[in-house]
Amino acid sequence: MKRRDFLKIVGIASSATLLSSCGVEKGTEKLIPFLVPPDEDYIPGVAQYYSSTCTECPANCGVSVKVVDFNPIKLEGLEANPINRGALCLRGQSSIVRLYHPDRIKQPLKRGANGQFQPIGWDEAIQQVVQALKSARGQGKANVYLSGRTTGSLSRLLDNFAKDAEVERVPEYEPFAHANLREAYRLVFGRKEIPFYRIEDADFLLTVGVDLVETFVSPVSYAKQLSRAKDRENFRWLHFEPHASLTGFQADKRFIVKPGSEAYLVGFFLNYILTNGLNKKRIPPEITNALPKIDAGQAAEKTGLDADTLNKLAAQLAEARAPMVISGGVSTHQKNGLETAVLTALLQWALGLTDRLVDFARAENYDHVGSVADVQQLVKRLNADEIGVLFLARTNPVATLPAAIPFAQAMARASFKVALTDFLDETAEQCDLILPLSHSLESWGDAEPRKGLLNLIQPTVEPIFNTLSEGDILLAIADGYQGRPNVFSYQQWLLREWNRTYGEAFVDEFLKKGFYEAPAKAVRLSLNTRALTRFLKDAKLDVRPQGHILYAIPSLRMFDGRSKVLKLTSEIPDPLTTISYGEWITVSDETAERLKLKDKDEVAFQVNGNQLALPVKVQPGLNGDVSTIHWDQLERAFLDVDQRSGEILAVVSGGQMQKTGKKIAIPILSGSMEEAYERGIFPDHNGHGMKHHADVRETLYPPHEHPEYRWAMTIDLEKCIGCSACVAACYVENNVAIVGKEEHLIGREMSWIRIEPFYGKDRDREMNFMVMLCQQCCNAPCETVCPVYATMHNPEGLNAMVYNRCVGTRYCHNNCPYKVRRFNWFDHEWETPLDRMLNPDVFVRHKGIMEKCTFCVQRIRTARDVAKDEKRKIRDGEVIPACSQTCPTDAIVFGNLLDEQARVTKLAHSDRSYRVFEEIGTEPAVYYLRKKEIKDEA
Amino acid sequence: MKEKIIPIGIVGYFLLMVALIGVLGWYWQNFQKTPVQPIEFPHNVHVGKLKLDCQFCHKFPSKSKFATVPSVKLCVDCHKTAATDRPEVKKLLKYWEDQVPIEWLKVYSFRKNANVNFSHKPHIRAGVDCSTCHGRVDQMITARKTRNINMGFCVSCHRQERAPTDCWTCHK
Repeated sequence: MKRRDFLKIVGIASSATLLSSCGVEKGTEKLIPFLVPPDEDYIPGVAQYYSSTCTECPANCGVSVKVVDFNPIKLEGLEANPINRGALCLRGQSSIVRLYHPDRIKQPLKRGANGQFQPIGWDEAIQQVVQALKSARGQGKANVYLSGRTTGSLSRLLDNFAKDAEVERVPEYEPFAHANLREAYRLVFGRKEIPFYRIEDADFLLTVGVDLVETFVSPVSYAKQLSRAKDRENFRWLHFEPHASLTGFQADKRFIVKPGSEAYLVGFFLNYILTNGLNKKRIPPEITNALPKIDAGQAAEKTGLDADTLNKLAAQLAEARAPMVISGGVSTHQKNGLETAVLTALLQWALGLTDRLVDFARAENYDHVGSVADVQQLVKRLNADEIGVLFLARTNPVATLPAAIPFAQAMARASFKVALTDFLDETAEQCDLILPLSHSLESWGDAEPRKGLLNLIQPTVEPIFNTLSEGDILLAIADGYQGRPNVFSYQQWLLREWNRTYGEAFVDEFLKKGFYEAPAKAVRLSLNTRALTRFLKDAKLDVRPQGHILYAIPSLRMFDGRSKVLKLTSEIPDPLTTISYGEWITVSDETAERLKLKDKDEVAFQVNGNQLALPVKVQPGLNGDVSTIHWDQLERAFLDVDQRSGEILAVVSGGQMQKTGKKIAIPILSGSMEEAYERGIFPDHNGHGMKHHADVRETLYPPHEHPEYRWAMTIDLEKCIGCSACVAACYVENNVAIVGKEEHLIGREMSWIRIEPFYGKDRDREMNFMVMLCQQCCNAPCETVCPVYATMHNPEGLNAMVYNRCVGTRYCHNNCPYKVRRFNWFDHEWETPLDRMLNPDVFVRHKGIMEKCTFCVQRIRTARDVAKDEKRKIRDGEVIPACSQTCPTDAIVFGNLLDEQARVTKLAHSDRSYRVFEEIGTEPAVYYLRKKEIKDEA
Repeated sequence: MKEKIIPIGIVGYFLLMVALIGVLGWYWQNFQKTPVQPIEFPHNVHVGKLKLDCQFCHKFPSKSKFATVPSVKLCVDCHKTAATDRPEVKKLLKYWEDQVPIEWLKVYSFRKNANVNFSHKPHIRAGVDCSTCHGRVDQMITARKTRNINMGFCVSCHRQERAPTDCWTCHK
């Protein structure tokens, strides 16, 4: 082709393109008004807040739902709620994704003749259930309702339903039913409950294996309490565990004990208190005689701690004004877990804790929750063909039960299986009929997570799909069964129920406040001497796990696996390992050395014919032959059941580990978890790296002026527990994209705030979390290299990122010493209806531009608007960024540094304050409060 | 002769293109500015003659980002009885009867990628008159754009009035 021909063709083609693109731009938008305006208090584009309850896990924290233009866009902890007091965890923050999840079941489904699910209408679905119920009764079979934990009015409705529709309500199934703990309290006090532990009022806390701030019963509540307790100078917290957990690293001192030896540890403390006559409450001689006698020598031998330390600790425990002992988590999920729990309960009694700190009046409400033993009973009945219709509501036993219980096969024998669920999970897939449930943000209801505490659930949005609430479904089925017309909605039923139980005045206040706390009824405890003596005589403390031991630990991110569907929970890395997507197993330094393992090397782990092959992550602070795996990643074949209590045993012993030689790609987001010290990330113990010690480099640029505000943040590293709730809150608040595993593998995660674990020289005990976000530097290295002024210092001390100007050179990212800038390599899609949860006040960034933390500038803007309306300046505490708002330990404080009275100013000028990389002279606006000196050795 | 057809054709093609683009440009400049609304709402009557306050119908500029278009009910509240014989009012009443919302066309908007976080509220609070941006609506039948609301226009006014010119004031 000649050059001229080429030019002609190009010319013609380009002119045609130009012409065809004309007119495309003017896709005129439409303005569609309301027919009738909505209620008076609705203002378009302005956020409204509704009180409700988080239903992502059984803790049922109170939430305040931010609704803009009829779309709930964010959950925040309800400030006044006594459980979470304004905070929310990672899962709670992520749970809004569940509401808009495109994979939710969108209408009732029925298994057709070809075995596939077909959509049907609600009336037909209810009709089918009613018919199935009747025909099963006709054949003399029992109809059974198995659900996840149910509390409050729904539980009462279920009782009515059971009567009306002749359905038997069997004990509820929760994988984390704390069966051993509850069984222990039954044996000791005759109360099958989990008390509320008032650790806020304790001054000497001793925790055995319990993952207080991760998943244990009500983690946000406990994290909040720990933070308040840490405010007191005399508070001390010792943690004992055989593995390495997030909670453990937060304690003042973490003791690594030999696997399976926790019962000896607690038993020793109990013996010490009793033999030295330090017990505040009497224990009858029958029990004392039946108690296993454990002296310091024996305890030391079993636990691997030294006898002097143990004696000293026991003495401190006895002397403490308000001691507290809790065991749970891995220490009660093993073969002698029940013994550990019983001895702990006795110790609590002996120390007099049961009068005040171990509170049964506000016990966690597990009234209807059974254990795996109850499920086994059900399996037996299913196998005997005794069950007709089997309802499975909000529970996934097929995926979560130990493989020894063949639930899937058994449930196939029920004549009709109905799932009430929101996702097509493993259990729903086996069912004949699926009734999709509305999200709690779409329905009316209440929850009673603790005795006497009623949390409101109210709808904040019209159901997004063709779903109904469980209450409505139950009412419809019951009415259908009785042949009555279905006139009552669950909302009406609830109102009637509330009115009847509490009176009309209550309802108004309840709706306004979002919760109701009934006065606590005092609980008189007494020892259940007979049962206890019998139990203690047969107690076997010695379990001595052999070989390589694997601990299945509940995941902070996925709980029992139910939060895995949220996607955001996978995007946010596990705080201890910084692994986001994929499965892994941790190994100790010792094992790594012995098997010559490095991160990502695959190992084969075998126990009794079961095998798993997973990449490893070397975890500092682990016992030699111990490995951990997250509960949701372990195959059910490895799990066993304690037949005495029905607790799932999560400790797999007798294993063998081998290196396979393969390397598996898993995204480990942190580059290094060790080189933080002596580099200015954390000041060393001599104070090097602190402000007054740093040799700060001068800047060549003129100083910035901040006439009215200088926004700043302080992060207390003593309080930060690495729970990553801030990360989740940031994702939701700022429309941060979820990019997936492939992008994470090449280091392109988008999080604006991240939690970095750093292990100190004493790798077993010293670990610090660094919360890293844009430092909003005064002399920002990113600003000076931007060729287009896309990032610049604003008059309020913020490092403003102007998306329109950005051309994507990424120089700023390259020049940022904190590595907090993120580049959009792609346009990110929010699949409908997920786009409805986008925050309208925050721009959705497109391909080719940088982004980073803005200190939630949209919240500053909102606060300024309110302040200007009232003709005043923004007050201290009026602007709370999303990360700070949700922090369960109140570690993050935000405010105006020019205001001398502001909390942030006081903290920034405190003795513990320092800034990361102080010496390079960037003058960050984020101040860190370093950890307090490690208190005296025990 | 044949050899000339091709070059003439090419030149002709390009001339045609230029002309077409010119015509289309002129067409959009002059006609697209006044959108054809589903109902020809006479602003001049309501604002000019009846002296209704802007916020009587556009209820929210002092409270929200958005000025908002009035609900159909608000129109009908008056027009149930007022001027019911006019053809455009009949159209309105038909919408109400059918309970169908009116699909008005937007007159002012920002490009999506302009990333503008414009809010009416602070402007009303500062006492900016509606006509500053929206022109003399009291003299228009159907509202149309009288000036391009671009960054230059915003910034010049912000400078003049000493309003903040920090990027993050207007860009989110």
